[in-house]
Amino acid sequence: MTWLLSPAKPFMLAGSSRRILTNVLTTTRSVGRRGLSNAQHFYGNKQLELYAAKEAKPMTLRQLVFFGRSINEERVIISGNYVRTELPVRIAHRLRDLQALPYIVVTQEGMDKVYEMYLSAFDRFRRFPEIKTLEDNEVFCKFVRELLDEHSTVIPNLSLGLSLASPYLAPNRLDSFMRRMLVSRISRRVLAEHHIALSKDLQARRRGNGASSDHVGIIYTALNIRKSVEKCAAYLRSRAFDVDHDMPKGANTTAAWSEIIVDGHTETTFPYIPEHLEYIIFELLKNSLRATRLTHADARTLPPIQATISAGENMVAIRISDQGGGLLLPQIKSPSDLFSFSHLRNSTRMEHSRLGALRSVSSSTKGITATVKEQLGSMSQPTTRERPDRTAPYPRIGIGLPMSNIFATYFGGSLELVSMDGYGTDVYLRLPKLGTNLEGIEV
Amino acid sequence: MLAVRSCLTGCCHIDLSPRIAQSTVARGPRRGFRSSTRSNPTVENSPTPAEIAPLLDKFATYPARPVTLSTLLSLGQPLTPQSVLNSVKHVLSEVPRLFGQRVRALEGLPFIVGMNPFIAKTLVAHRKAFQLLATYPPVKSLGDNANFTEQLEILVQTHVNDIPIMAKGFQECSRYMSPQQVSDFLDSAIRNRIAVRLLAEQHIALSRDLQNPSSRTIDHIGVVHMKCSPRSMIKMCGSFVSDLCEATLGSSPEIVIDGDGDATFAYIPVHLEYILTEILKNSFRASVERHHKLYGPSTDHPIPPVVLTIASPNSSSPHPAVLSIRVRDQGGGVSPANIPHIFSYSFTTARSSDDADEIGGPYAMQHVGGSAAIDSSMRGASGTGGLFSEIVGRGVQTGMGTIAGLGYGLPMSRLYAMYFGGSLDFFSLDGWGSDVFVKLRCLDQAGDVHIDSS
Repeated sequence: MTWLLSPAKPFMLAGSSRRILTNVLTTTRSVGRRGLSNAQHFYGNKQLELYAAKEAKPMTLRQLVFFGRSINEERVIISGNYVRTELPVRIAHRLRDLQALPYIVVTQEGMDKVYEMYLSAFDRFRRFPEIKTLEDNEVFCKFVRELLDEHSTVIPNLSLGLSLASPYLAPNRLDSFMRRMLVSRISRRVLAEHHIALSKDLQARRRGNGASSDHVGIIYTALNIRKSVEKCAAYLRSRAFDVDHDMPKGANTTAAWSEIIVDGHTETTFPYIPEHLEYIIFELLKNSLRATRLTHADARTLPPIQATISAGENMVAIRISDQGGGLLLPQIKSPSDLFSFSHLRNSTRMEHSRLGALRSVSSSTKGITATVKEQLGSMSQPTTRERPDRTAPYPRIGIGLPMSNIFATYFGGSLELVSMDGYGTDVYLRLPKLGTNLEGIEV
Repeated sequence: MLAVRSCLTGCCHIDLSPRIAQSTVARGPRRGFRSSTRSNPTVENSPTPAEIAPLLDKFATYPARPVTLSTLLSLGQPLTPQSVLNSVKHVLSEVPRLFGQRVRALEGLPFIVGMNPFIAKTLVAHRKAFQLLATYPPVKSLGDNANFTEQLEILVQTHVNDIPIMAKGFQECSRYMSPQQVSDFLDSAIRNRIAVRLLAEQHIALSRDLQNPSSRTIDHIGVVHMKCSPRSMIKMCGSFVSDLCEATLGSSPEIVIDGDGDATFAYIPVHLEYILTEILKNSFRASVERHHKLYGPSTDHPIPPVVLTIASPNSSSPHPAVLSIRVRDQGGGVSPANIPHIFSYSFTTARSSDDADEIGGPYAMQHVGGSAAIDSSMRGASGTGGLFSEIVGRGVQTGMGTIAGLGYGLPMSRLYAMYFGGSLDFFSLDGWGSDVFVKLRCLDQAGDVHIDSS
């Protein structure tokens, strides 16, 4: 929260916001609870209510793409001002959503942090002056970028908070709240990242490098699924075999990871956001690799993982089949419980190791934004020798499947798990081609 | 379930003879409304509603005491004259109650639907069966039991084609009942029938085993096989479906079995046989047709195999032990538009045969099925036999109709799979292939399951 003190951002500390911000500051510096129940905070809620009363103005993906096709100065400024005015409204909705949760829920560890981060983001956004020039826009892009980075601890904090709050919130309500938070977060990020990407495209064009034609903003027009799978596979298989430090005693720690065989319509390309596709594939392959390794701990060669791609008319599908023993855990009743953030549905969420990992990620500066990139970053970091606590380089915090499910369903796709208990798991990921049905898809 | 033996020994031709059904029944409507049910030859010796109503009332007041699977199994462990006589008691209390439920359900259908000759025929047959069993004198000796078992066998035979006949009737009544109503009615009729056949055939099998100990195998308790091998069931059904597929489409895919090939589990082979045959018919046909479409009918390019993967439950499993079988083909899958229909009874939605190919594939045929497919590919063949024959009536002579798995293969397979708490799920990779997952509870651990219609 150091940015709040930075004099380089005068617009934030102007006028009447000082009271709220001071409040937030006190909150973060001292014990969180006191700040949140503060009367000043209660009476300072007016601005928020004003914004929360406004409707969000969703954009269809078609609008985004068409708008971005011939980007120019005027359009970039319109785009910037849309993001500038739209995001505080959406953040306000989420804040109201948080305020409506039971008191005991928001006072859990992690939840209070999220609330504060949202509140300060809201305040900074609504004070950002109108964008009139490209220079203004550059400042704005930088501001948005910073904010996105600062918010990287939101997911682990929310996940931690909700795990702890599970007894106080029925699983359905908990999961639908989390879903609203994450879907809104993805939307805001799509809007923000798209704007940043468009601004970059314009810059590139001005410098004479014609913007590449393989993407419009953050949407790639011909994303090759096989290449994405192979990319993720290569990264994941280059990790140390005992990466999670969970090998049973006496197991062969020098074996090689499972082969990943890609078949089906292997030349399929489709328009999509690569970060979303790759995050899901990365998480699914990571799970399959790990399950196969643990199930066949004494095998010399691990059975392969099969990824089959199929291209339908409006959708593409990817099926990942492993021989990792299936999903039969005593902690869950059905495979879809693995998508839940409630520990009542998935009690592995209350395991010490998992809570511990969530805590350390939540309090780190880097956090987790659910991208492949950040995981690759942490993988290339020094391994155990320099890590006295023997934590895995990328801790298992249990958000891979729930987040993948949210990413998969975000544009109307689906993610389904089928367990062949005692043998392996089949995962079916279906994603719409973001070129054919853009009208119905709102961001 | 009689079919276990008959099919294994190769003499399987219990055909309803749809031609007869048609000649005796289908004429009905042409005679107009004046023809009361009494003029129908099949109806003559049947009880009138007035005769049967008090008896139905009486049975309706009996509390349901569904037999559990463990009771059914315990009757054969050990098999004694006394346990067979106990088995009769269960049959005589439960089977008439189940038939009574069906009678009441059929009587509750809209009048115009009840006037349909196929539905009328079904009602009459059910009333007869109900009356026979509800008034059957107590079975006190093994001699009595021999007579009773004989009658029971005849009864089971007569009712072999209940579902197809009803289905035909509902197909003709599509204007008077919604697909959902028909579907619900048939679901419960089928579950009811699974229970009736299980109770009856368990008793028949136990009686036979007692009478003829040499025919007993140690692994069987009546119709339940304690060490049923999915691999040998797959091989048996696979070779049948292969022949059928060769005969009708000219070629067939190979079957590959992987996973835990040596697994065995306690199950009722004839249920598994029905399920596997229906799924394999779909997969085979889809694989061959897809292959023809891609490479033409005369090509050296091999047809991709149908891969069956067997997974046996882990002994430390915290959940009910389930054996899973995955059937994976490269038959092109099902388009998303057809997915919602794959578990519908074909005849609940009428379609013309012209668009059958367009919306294509055998899985879609579950939906279009019925008359459409008969009209296009079975005209002149053995009438509705292919469509309506169940496992017992399967036969190569029905040609295309049978391999096409017309009409209700998947929905009915799913009811069989779900009967003891299992499941049947379908996943498609559109344009590539399909996966069917069958999960069956191991029956030696499913003792709490009620043999009932619910």
